[in-house]
Amino acid sequence: MEVGQEFIPLTKEEITHTQLVRYAGASGDFNPIHTVVPFAEKAGLGGVIAHGMLIMGFVGKAIGTWFDVNRLQKFSVRFNSITRPGEKIIVIGSIIGDTNETWLCQTKALNEKGEVKITGSFEVRKN
Amino acid sequence: MSLRDKVGIHFEPFTFEIEKGKIKEFAMAIGDANPCYQAGEALPPTFATVIEMWGGTDFIELAEKLELELPKVLHGEQEYEYLGKIKVGERVTGVTSVTNAISKENMDLIKLETHYKNEAGELVLISRNTVIERH
Repeated sequence: MEVGQEFIPLTKEEITHTQLVRYAGASGDFNPIHTVVPFAEKAGLGGVIAHGMLIMGFVGKAIGTWFDVNRLQKFSVRFNSITRPGEKIIVIGSIIGDTNETWLCQTKALNEKGEVKITGSFEVRKN
Repeated sequence: MSLRDKVGIHFEPFTFEIEKGKIKEFAMAIGDANPCYQAGEALPPTFATVIEMWGGTDFIELAEKLELELPKVLHGEQEYEYLGKIKVGERVTGVTSVTNAISKENMDLIKLETHYKNEAGELVLISRNTVIERH
């Protein structure tokens, strides 16, 4: 590992309505904008949107392929845009700096068109 | 309740037992087949959302207490600081408070922080999130 290194991107399968229902149940986030189409339409969202935390979960999955998650110290994201069923998410990341003990990394989740869903950073203990 | 009055609100402490089955279910919902989650050797980095939603104040309750209009509420930012290992089978206790609330052009931003302690009373995880209410 070295500063400047880019990680192998993680490509997820297309998000489905079923996955949103499943994630709602697993996470306990039953906000109906994620699962109930008429509610989401009434809310002016033009249909259901994915839980931001699901997309952050994808980023967490990517981090777990790049590092031992038990060494993760900090993980911060901003949700830049909404994601809908049918979209495919790709997670990229790189090491942008380090200290004696820690790798400082940045990450992004994008769809296939390159629209940014999440920008984030994380810190991982070297040993 | 004015926006400013929301700062300093503390929610009731909540306790949640870290069950192996729940870890698996959550990892599978994300589509994360990392064997360390299956074995209960680690928690997915975003697992604290389960603790919050199932153990504590879920989104709907939170919106009610903060007088937010649910259809207008979005998640803006999320941060986790991992300070200690949370073990499977352990009970963790979380306390959530509102640390900031500001109004921007067409939205209100409310910052919440949850401190999680293990059974020994050690601070093991801090979750910080920003909730957006569109006007």
